[in-house]
Amino acid sequence: MATIEANRPMSAEEKKVIFASSLGTVFEWYDFYLYGSLAAIIAKQFFSGLDEGSAFIFALLAFAAGFIVRPFGAIIFGRLGDMIGRKYTFLVTILIMGVSTFIVGVLPNYASIGVAAPVILICLRLLQGLALGGEYGGAATYVAEHAPAGQRGAYTSWIQTTATLGLFLSLMVILGTRTAIGEEAFADWGWRVPFLVSVIMLVISVYIRLSMNESPAFVKMKAEGKTSKAPLTEAFGQWKNMKIVILALFGLVAGQAVVWYSGQFYALFFLTQALKVDGPTANIMVALSLIIGTPFFVIFGTLSDKIGRKPLIMLGCLLAVLTYFPVFEALTKAANPDLYAAQQKNKVIVTSDPAECSFQFNPTGTLKFTSSCDIAKQVLASSSVSYDNVVGAPGTTASIKIGETEITGYSAKGLPADEAKAKSAEFRKAVAETLKAAGYPAKADMAKFDKVTVVIILTYLVILVTMVYGPIAAMLVELFPTRIRYTSMSLPYHIGNGWFGGLMPTTAFAIVAQTGNMYNGLWYPIIIAGMTFVIGMIFVRETKDVDIYADD
Amino acid sequence: MLKIFVGFVIFAALAMFVIMKGGDSLDMSGEKHGADAVHAPAEAASVAASTASGASADASAAK
Repeated sequence: MATIEANRPMSAEEKKVIFASSLGTVFEWYDFYLYGSLAAIIAKQFFSGLDEGSAFIFALLAFAAGFIVRPFGAIIFGRLGDMIGRKYTFLVTILIMGVSTFIVGVLPNYASIGVAAPVILICLRLLQGLALGGEYGGAATYVAEHAPAGQRGAYTSWIQTTATLGLFLSLMVILGTRTAIGEEAFADWGWRVPFLVSVIMLVISVYIRLSMNESPAFVKMKAEGKTSKAPLTEAFGQWKNMKIVILALFGLVAGQAVVWYSGQFYALFFLTQALKVDGPTANIMVALSLIIGTPFFVIFGTLSDKIGRKPLIMLGCLLAVLTYFPVFEALTKAANPDLYAAQQKNKVIVTSDPAECSFQFNPTGTLKFTSSCDIAKQVLASSSVSYDNVVGAPGTTASIKIGETEITGYSAKGLPADEAKAKSAEFRKAVAETLKAAGYPAKADMAKFDKVTVVIILTYLVILVTMVYGPIAAMLVELFPTRIRYTSMSLPYHIGNGWFGGLMPTTAFAIVAQTGNMYNGLWYPIIIAGMTFVIGMIFVRETKDVDIYADD
Repeated sequence: MLKIFVGFVIFAALAMFVIMKGGDSLDMSGEKHGADAVHAPAEAASVAASTASGASADASAAK
């Protein structure tokens, strides 16, 4: 029977279920990424009039909106989804997301209504974060509960493509608008158009989702009066289920999240910031690799129905652990061979008092590093220079030695802003000139840029992403019983992706600055993926053959 | 499946066209958090770790 189920073709109703769920999720990602893609313009429109203290508070709130609230959305909407149904809950999430996005498009800016503008904007952003926290679990659960046994990996893998498609869609609408109305008008008012366009997508998504039926598993459970009255207590208050939530987080999602961020975003950051490749070229390379890689979400999702979810996710994490260092080094050789050669040839030494050096972890971007040690390391880390640390005498002002030239740093503690700026410019200029003389290129030489190799390497990183991400929705769904599935799977997913994944760039930069090696930022994804591999291999069971209705 | 494949190819071609045409004006770095989300580039300091949020510049350190 199971074999017949697994081999039968997809029905028209099932196709509609996947289409409706995936389309809505694409639009949710579209709405979410719009804000990121237009951050510079939005900052100018809404935050540029704020004083230093207010900017600090808003930076914290923006951080909370991006990272902290997503798991809360998972809890709020997960609970609703397990109590009133999947269909109506993820209808609500898309309405919140769509309406919030639309309001951003009509919101007066700081110049018009003062501080109310950023306050309202942050509130809308918080709502978007909450909605996103509720959307994914709903879509995955809804699709999985419509899928026949033996095909859940294939069915849910379509949802896994939506983050990439949503990113592309947002870029297409932004550039279409830009081209149609011109740069000046876009910066002035045209940036609002992509936000307003979301209302069309909202109407389409709501119309399609309204025409869908509730998940059959939920309908049956409701008819039998077996729905959970307290999903949060059942999901997180009982060790039997909580234990699986914790294992799902550390043994599956955390590793998936860091591999996802490494392939989807860190590779781009590394190309532009560490390897000094120009932005347009880096964008094209990354986009090409994402396009080549996207079908693999479905391929690995489908394959997971045959060989299991766990082997694929674990293999993806293991390959990340084993290959990130050589792969990123190969990326340096292919994208900026001059930098690679300079790193091999010229030793750079930072001499400093260790008491002055801090671990520059600054997730909100609001901390200020003023010691001579921190400043020297920041300048070198942002120039992709690998350096050795030498312990100086207590109270020593940090210095940088490049070849035979030594440059003494400065401390910005207590300096007036103008003087600090002047000293910073002078110090940076001295370091940049000495580095140039030592063979460190200010930019990657595009004549030496090996496009084919770069695309192959980036595609490999994206394929690792698809390996861990393609099967994970099905696996999370299969770990939990129907009555608390939405709640239980949403929380580890969003803690893993929002917190473990989202903190990756910040943590990686802090490690690079601390240790003086631009590859050392990779320790963060490697350690997290390694942890997931070990915990997953030992404690997480395979789920592809699980009867997800057995406990109903 | 053929329809999906054709649809994806068209979408991908369009996306590539847009990204190639977009040049420097496109930001593909995804979500923005913390100071990245509230500072316009002109006001951000010169440390090249804008995406990392990890380094607020020493230029503004003494403010």
